[in-house]
Amino acid sequence: MYVFSIIVLIGLLAAAGLFLFTIVKLLWNAVKIPEKKPGLKLQLGRRIYLVIRNVFLQAKLFKDLGGGIMHALMFWGFIAFAAYSSDFLLSAIFPGFHLISGTLERVAFFTVDIFAMVVLLDVIHAVIRRWGIKIKRYQGYNGFEAWFILSLIAILMTTYFILAVLRLDHISQNIPGSIGESLVPMNTPISYALASVLPKISVSAGYYVYWTAFWIHALDFMIFLAYIPTSKHLHLFAAPFNVLFAKEDQAILKPIDFEKETRFGATDVRDFNWKDYFDFYACTECGRCTANCPANLTGKTLSPRDIIWDIRETLMAQGNEYRTKGGDRDQIFKTVIGDPIKEEDLWSCTTCMACVEQCPVMIDHVSKIVDMRRSLVLNQGKAPREVIDLTRNIEQYGSPYAIDPSTRADWAEGLDVVDLTKTPDAQYDVLYWVGCVASFDKRNQEVAKSIVKILKKADVKFAILGSKEKCTGDPARRTGNEYLADMMIKENVETLKANRVQKVITGCAHCFNSLKNEYKDFGIELEVHHHTEYINKLISDKKLNVKSIDSDTLEKYTYHDPCYVGRYNKTYEEPRDVVKTFALNYEEMEMNKSKALCCGAGGGRLWMEEKEGTMISHKRIEQADNVGASTVVTACPYCMTMLDDARKTTGREEKMKIQDVSELIASRIE
Amino acid sequence: MVDIVVLIKQMPDLEQVKPDPTTGEPQLKNVPLKLENLSENSVEEAVRLKEKYGGKVTAVIFGNEQSSAIMKKAYAMGADEGYIITGFKGNNPSLTAKVLGEKIKALKHDIVILGNQSADSISGLLGGKIASYLGIPLLGNANSIEVDGSTVKVKRALEENNQVIQANFPVVVSVTQEINEPRLPPVMQIMQAGRKPINTEAATITGREVRIISNKAPKSERKKIIFEDVDKGIAEVAKVLKEEMR
Ligand code: SF4
Ligand code: SF4
Repeated sequence: MYVFSIIVLIGLLAAAGLFLFTIVKLLWNAVKIPEKKPGLKLQLGRRIYLVIRNVFLQAKLFKDLGGGIMHALMFWGFIAFAAYSSDFLLSAIFPGFHLISGTLERVAFFTVDIFAMVVLLDVIHAVIRRWGIKIKRYQGYNGFEAWFILSLIAILMTTYFILAVLRLDHISQNIPGSIGESLVPMNTPISYALASVLPKISVSAGYYVYWTAFWIHALDFMIFLAYIPTSKHLHLFAAPFNVLFAKEDQAILKPIDFEKETRFGATDVRDFNWKDYFDFYACTECGRCTANCPANLTGKTLSPRDIIWDIRETLMAQGNEYRTKGGDRDQIFKTVIGDPIKEEDLWSCTTCMACVEQCPVMIDHVSKIVDMRRSLVLNQGKAPREVIDLTRNIEQYGSPYAIDPSTRADWAEGLDVVDLTKTPDAQYDVLYWVGCVASFDKRNQEVAKSIVKILKKADVKFAILGSKEKCTGDPARRTGNEYLADMMIKENVETLKANRVQKVITGCAHCFNSLKNEYKDFGIELEVHHHTEYINKLISDKKLNVKSIDSDTLEKYTYHDPCYVGRYNKTYEEPRDVVKTFALNYEEMEMNKSKALCCGAGGGRLWMEEKEGTMISHKRIEQADNVGASTVVTACPYCMTMLDDARKTTGREEKMKIQDVSELIASRIE
Repeated sequence: MVDIVVLIKQMPDLEQVKPDPTTGEPQLKNVPLKLENLSENSVEEAVRLKEKYGGKVTAVIFGNEQSSAIMKKAYAMGADEGYIITGFKGNNPSLTAKVLGEKIKALKHDIVILGNQSADSISGLLGGKIASYLGIPLLGNANSIEVDGSTVKVKRALEENNQVIQANFPVVVSVTQEINEPRLPPVMQIMQAGRKPINTEAATITGREVRIISNKAPKSERKKIIFEDVDKGIAEVAKVLKEEMR
């Protein structure tokens, strides 16, 4: 064995050892610290699909096209390079041994050669993005790490080219351990082009250049390996697993078993499960989440990236302490709420899911934020004043409003609607779940009336629950009061069962999501439709005949996606299809569909004051104004309230209307 | 250490009380009871004092079967022990003070806390009556309470001045709504409250009661003017008021 082989072998073992050591530490944390379980289902097919789509094809990254292309090329180059590096190191340790040969070798080298150039250009591109045009989402975070890793990559590629050129110039052919000697020039076209333009050097000089490049390349590789798991580049290892383990229903909240559990919500790192730990490990600090967070975009300090990263840093530090010193868990695992995560930030979140939607490595920020709210509310009874009032109202009146619940169906008086409180034995096919806001809020009662009109016109046999209907529990749930939400949900489940409800339509995005996705955890499976979806079906089934009206030629429409219809339930097209049955002038806002900006009301924020920064709803109204919309169409009472208010308070009352999809249809089916 | 007796009250949720359309009498049937707002402030203050100085909080309520839910709420907020006194009817503050006074005598009481007036009867007499029955000082209308050794110091906002007054244990303190913001009880406490025993005792003292003969909502002819357009603001309201007053 050659001396250099032994050195490479020792170096490689040391680097691999360091790599494994760090990984084992991280896995140890994930096994030993958590006191909760993720409750994952096997779903092998879905998981394989996810890994192919989101890891190998890098699909989620393209939501930011520029950054996405850059990263995907880097990633694919990285995979190609892994083959090269393995061959390089094995040949160095065992000269004469080749991992790949023949066609496979030619294909591998061809790919590597192309990608080496691409990656090199990519590094330059990355440097420009980060330090040249200073893309906002990268700013302020671990600049050193990014710089260091980009240098390592650049050096790796450069030394690759040096070695390849030397090979093409026949300088390395007799050096033990050199690779690719049997290739023809056109197998590595970029290197060939380089070799033909670079000046030739003597064999002896080439010899020194070869060994210099060789050692730099080998050392670079080793540093890279040892460094990865200690930096944000841990995502190279953790992200594929995180995608593999991803929950199918991200941002959907899970019940608490109050009989069994003793730790409610997430107070410290023990309250996150091992899958959450992979979330923390997988975060690349890319800032895509924060760049799309409505709270952050309007000047609030909430940053979903910081939430994840702060817990990660806390976990690393406390995990280290626990591993090395052991001892009292209560002493070591101090709460993450307050420091480093500010309580106000937790309350700023609208649970809009924009962060989750954007995160390329499938991190679920929302359930963590709500879990920390749960900790505050359930363990300490701590919440903003408005949330406490909201809770009291739901407790006392079964809705967020301090209004006598027996008046819940007063809006339907004179409309000849079957009310199951009054006529419990009435026959019906579909239950129209009205929701609290449409029941009690004047503006939104108009929407409820429109829905009734549409259902009647289409001869749908429907009923409402009347004063038996209670808040779905969503506002309590998302403000962390799972105890109250649990009570509300169980009560509603009883009512739904007692009234033999199977099929539900609702005009509220939040009720829609709760009934559709969250009630199943409480023992009821319902067929739930959002009204836009249902109306769209009625139109395509020719049960409704939508006529244009005179003003249609003048109006300019745009559609605002409610988060709980869009991102939460991927219902993007149906509401648009309905609008397009009559709208002649339609234009999308700058942020739409999966990227739509929240109205600012979700997560209980409808009932809270928005003191920090500017109003999210104002920003949204501006976006609507930017496309010259005269009617902003929406499909959720929360959005209606926020946008209607924003329209008035920003002085756009004269030029803009906010309308629910159902109102527009109701006025076109006379 | 401060031992506190907090007097609480249940009342029908006024939001859900409607006058009978023909007789004008409030319909109280099926209206859920709730812990009266000022009682919630009183419990909150008692618990805060206990948290700060140590000691024990005992809650006392006049009630019936439904009162255990109300008492559990007080427990969830942090009261340690609770007594429901049943069988007491009547609307005579002197008598109420006597019954409560007897109960308080049987309990350790450095401070007795209650609301300065209840939302349903609004007599505001009870604090004074109890203090006189027990022969101890009353620190009325407190919007903050501090304890120093065995001295209770109370701040109160009067119409024209802010006063600070103090007296030694035992004292009766009546509190205002401004004194605190009642907490949301933590779940653990709510669950423990459900398991905690509640003492029920029948009232022994009887006397002459003041009976309510009739309690009607005043007849009012409403004009039912609705301001659809909130943003036209005060000017619009003033205009309409002027017109209507003519
Ligand atoms: S859910 Fe929305 S508001 Fe909350 S952190 Fe994520 S992006 Fe921000
Ligand atoms: S949480 Fe996801 S989107 Fe946010 S910084 Fe981390 S990897 Fe990027």
